[in-house]
Amino acid sequence: MAYNTNQLKVVYGDASLGLGGADFHYLFSYERGGLESLVIDGKEWLYRVPMPTFWRATTDNDRGNNFSVKAAQWYAADRFTTCQGVQLRVDDHHFDELPVAPLNNQFSDHETATTVTITFQYVTSTVPSTTVDVSYTVTADGNIKVTVHYVGQDNLPELPALGFRFIMPTTATGFDYEGLSGETYPDRMAGATHGQFHVDSLPVTPYLVPQDCGMHMQTKWLTVTRNLTQNNADRDQTPFSLRVEQSGQPFNFSCLPYTAEELENATHMEELPLARRTVLTIYGAVRGVGGIDSWGSDVEPAYRIQADQARTFGFWLKRV
Amino acid sequence: MQANLQWLDDPEVFRVNQLPAHSDHHYYYDATEQQSGRSRFVHSLNGQWHFNFATNPADRPLDFFQPEADLSNFDTITVPGHIELAGYAQVQYINTLYPWEGHQYRRPAYTLNQDKLAVGVFSQAADNSVGSYVKHFDLPAAFLNQRVHVQFQGVEEALYVWLNGHFLGYAEDSFTPSEFDLTPYVQATGNVLAVRVYKRSSAAFIEDQDMFRFSGIFRDVNLLALPAVHVDDLDLKPTVNADFQGGVLNVTTRLSGSQLTGATLHLCVTDDAGTEIAEQTQAAQTTVTFEPLRFDEVHLWSPDQPTLYQVTIDVLDSQGNRLEVVPYQFGFRKVELRADHVIYVNNQRLIINGVNRHEWNARTGRVITMADMQADIQTMKAHNINADRTCHYPDQLPWYQLCDQAGIYLMAENNLESHGTWQKSGAIEPSDNVPGDNPHWLEAVVDRARSNYQWFKNHPAIIFWSLGNESYAGEDIAAMQAYYKRHDDSRLVHYEGVVHTPNLRDRISDVESRMYEKPANIVAYLESNPDKPFLNCEYMHDMGNSLGGMKSYSDLLDRYPMYQGGFIWDFIDQALYVHDPVTDQDVLRYGGDFDDRHSDYEFSGDGLLFADRTPKPALQEVKYYYGLQH
Repeated sequence: MAYNTNQLKVVYGDASLGLGGADFHYLFSYERGGLESLVIDGKEWLYRVPMPTFWRATTDNDRGNNFSVKAAQWYAADRFTTCQGVQLRVDDHHFDELPVAPLNNQFSDHETATTVTITFQYVTSTVPSTTVDVSYTVTADGNIKVTVHYVGQDNLPELPALGFRFIMPTTATGFDYEGLSGETYPDRMAGATHGQFHVDSLPVTPYLVPQDCGMHMQTKWLTVTRNLTQNNADRDQTPFSLRVEQSGQPFNFSCLPYTAEELENATHMEELPLARRTVLTIYGAVRGVGGIDSWGSDVEPAYRIQADQARTFGFWLKRV
Repeated sequence: MQANLQWLDDPEVFRVNQLPAHSDHHYYYDATEQQSGRSRFVHSLNGQWHFNFATNPADRPLDFFQPEADLSNFDTITVPGHIELAGYAQVQYINTLYPWEGHQYRRPAYTLNQDKLAVGVFSQAADNSVGSYVKHFDLPAAFLNQRVHVQFQGVEEALYVWLNGHFLGYAEDSFTPSEFDLTPYVQATGNVLAVRVYKRSSAAFIEDQDMFRFSGIFRDVNLLALPAVHVDDLDLKPTVNADFQGGVLNVTTRLSGSQLTGATLHLCVTDDAGTEIAEQTQAAQTTVTFEPLRFDEVHLWSPDQPTLYQVTIDVLDSQGNRLEVVPYQFGFRKVELRADHVIYVNNQRLIINGVNRHEWNARTGRVITMADMQADIQTMKAHNINADRTCHYPDQLPWYQLCDQAGIYLMAENNLESHGTWQKSGAIEPSDNVPGDNPHWLEAVVDRARSNYQWFKNHPAIIFWSLGNESYAGEDIAAMQAYYKRHDDSRLVHYEGVVHTPNLRDRISDVESRMYEKPANIVAYLESNPDKPFLNCEYMHDMGNSLGGMKSYSDLLDRYPMYQGGFIWDFIDQALYVHDPVTDQDVLRYGGDFDDRHSDYEFSGDGLLFADRTPKPALQEVKYYYGLQH
C-alpha cells in the first residue's frame, strides 16, 4: 500500500509490532523486550534493544569514598535488568493481551494508526528490585517520544546514574548539540558556555584510569552522525543522522564508543577495546563528581541520586 | 679531606665544603651579553657523561674519580636526566609510605634510639643504588685565570664531588643548587669532574613527597667563572610607603675576589619603561650597603600588572674597567597581615586562585624544559590562576623569574616532606617523626629554609615562604619559621602541619592552613572568631574525573574576608610515556606499571592538565570560579 503521511503503517507480527512510514520502519520486539530496530532512510540505528542504565564507570573519587562498593547492586542491574511486561495502545485501543497469534489473525497487511504507544516494563536485578517503565509513543510522522519512568524503592543504595542507553551498530563520525561546552556534571557546569557545539568522532577523556566521562548536561538537542552501517548491501557512505530533542526539560547525555562496563574493565586507555559502536545514553539523573578529596568525601547531597525517589524523564527521537 | 660513605647515614651531615647559598642573580661581561642572556662566565656541562650504575654501595667503582681511572666499562648517560628513565633502575611511584616499604626496615636516625647513630642504614643498604658520573672538560677562554665554581642545580638524593682526583665536597637537598669551588684544583685542560650520586641517604626521610621516586643529576650542571671582583650575593629589599605611592629600595651586595681594593660598584635603577630613575656608586668591599634609593612614585607589582623595575650593577676595577654586570628585575609590592586578620597585598585583600605544581614532563619526569615552564605559565594566565605553590620543593631557577614577569604569586616551599614518619595508612602516629623536636635533624631542615630564602629572596612573586609539606610539626620546623622571620619581614610564612600540634600555633604559620577541608568545617573555623586568615594549601583534589562542587568554596570568598582562597591539588598529572608493544603506541603509565611495589598506582593523576599538558575538561570550571570578582 502507499504510505500516507497521516497514518502509520502497523504490522501486527507474531513476535513484534512493526510501525512504518515512507522513510522509516521500527520494530518493537516482544521477545527482545524493547525497540529492536530503528531504520530511517534504510539505515539501522540500533545494535540491541535500548535499555535503562544505572551504572557509571567508577571515578577515582567513587573508588576513594567507597561509593562503588556501596552501589555495586546497580552494576549488576546495569547488565542484567530484564523486560517483564509489554503494554500496547494503538490509537484509542489498549490491548489487554499482546496481539500475537492467534489474536493477530484478525489483522490484515494494511493496518494503520495515527498514534501508537508501547511500554516496556523493566525490572532491576537489585534486591529489592524496582521497575523502570519505558514508553515509546510513535506518531504518523515517525517521531518517537520516549518516556522513562523510574519507580524507585526504599532500601536500595544511591544510584550511580539513571539513564537510557542506545547502542548503535557502528561508530559515529561525530555529534552536534546545543547545550553546554565541554564535559559537564551537575556539580561542574558553571564554567561551561552555552551554545551549539560539534564534536568530532567519539572522544573518550583520557583519564589515567578510564572512568565515567563525556557527560553533557542541559542539552536542548543532539544529532549523532554516522556514515557506515553493518548492512552488507549498503555501500553508501553518505553521512546520516539521528536527532534527539528535549521534551519539556533539557536532557543530559554522553556519546561514547563504550559502555560503562567496558570503561570499568580497563585500567589504562590502551586496554579499551577497539571502538566499533556508538553508545548514546540519555540521562534523567547524573551523579556529581565531587571534588573535596579522593579518599572519603562524598559528592555534595544535592548531586546524589536517591533510589527511593521516583523520576521521569523524556525526549524525542526524530529523523533529520 | 676524604669522602666518608657514612655521611649517608647521618642527618647531621648534609653539606660538606659546599659554598653558601646565594641569590640567583645572573652576571655578564657586558650589556651585549646581558641582552642575549648568554654569559661567557657560564659554561654548561649538560650533555653526555661517562656513567656507571651500581645496585648498591658495595658494588660502586671505588677509584673512578681518579684522573687515570679506567672508564672503559662505563656507559654514557645524558645529564640532566633520571637514572631510572635511562633504564638502569626501576621506576617507582609511591605517595606517603617510604619507597622501601615492606622491603627494608628503617627508622630515622636518633628517633627510636636517641643516642646512637645506626651506621649502615643507607651506606650499606642493598636498595641504595649508586650512579658514578664522570665529565671531562677544558676551561673556556673566559675562565682562564679566574676562580671557577661548579653548580649542580638538582641532584637526587646525595652527591659526592671530585675534581682531578681531589675530593671537593658533599651535598644533600635534592632540589636546591649545590656549588663547589674548583679553583684549587682546576686546570686549563684535561679536567676530570667525578660525581657519585646515591639514591638514598638520611635525607630520604625528609624527601618523602608524593611523586615518582628518581635519582641522578636531574637539573643543569654549570661551570661558573668568577671575575676578580664578583657579586656573590645580591639582596634587594624594595618597600612600599604607607601611602602606596612611593617606595624605597635597599640594596646590599656581598662581594668576593682578589681585586676588591679600589674597585667600585655602579648601581643604576630603571623603571618598567627602561628609563633610568636612580644611580649610585659605592666603593667595593666585602659587604656593600647602598644608600636607600627613594622614589616618590612607583608602579606596584601585582598579578594583574606585574610591573618590574631593574637594578643593574656594574662592577668596575680600580682602573674603571668593567669586570661584570649584574642585572636584576624586581618589583614593589606590599604584603600585610593586618589587625583584622586579613592578608592584603598592595592594600587589597589577597585572594589566592592557586594551584599546586609539581615539575613534570611525561617523557623526562622532573627534568623539564623552559618550554614546559612557559607553557605552564600560559596555561595559568589563560585560566585565571594567580598563584602557585611550589609543591613540595624549590623549582628550577627560571620558574621564579617567569612568575615575576607573568604575575603569578608564589608560595615558595622548602624541600621537606616526612609523611611516612608520622602518618601510616591514614592514621596519625608520629612515634618516629622527623624532624620533630629532634636536635640531630634541626640543622638539616634549617639549612633548607636558609637555601630557599637565600636563592629566591629577591622575587616579588613570592608572597609566602612555606616550611614544607606534611611533616607534622615540632621545634625544628618552628626554627625554620624563625629563620624566615629573622630575615624577611616582607612576606608571610606558611605551614599546614601545625594543625597537629596546637601548642606551636603561634610559632609556625601566619595563616590557618588546611588541606582538603570540607566547606562546612571552614565555615565553623571562620565563625569561631579566629585569629588567623584561612587558606587551603591543597583543595579540590582533581584525581581523574573530579573537581565538582567548587562553588561551595568560591562562595566563602564573598562571605568571609578572612577566607583567602587556596591552591588546587594539582596542576599536572604525573604519568610517564611508555611504549606499549601490544598496541605499538606510546601510552601513559602510572605507579605499579613498572612492577614497582609498594605503589600508589594512579594516585598521582590529580592534575588540571593531563600528563601531556593537554587540559582536563574541568579546567573550564576552574577558569570560571577563578575569574569571578569578589
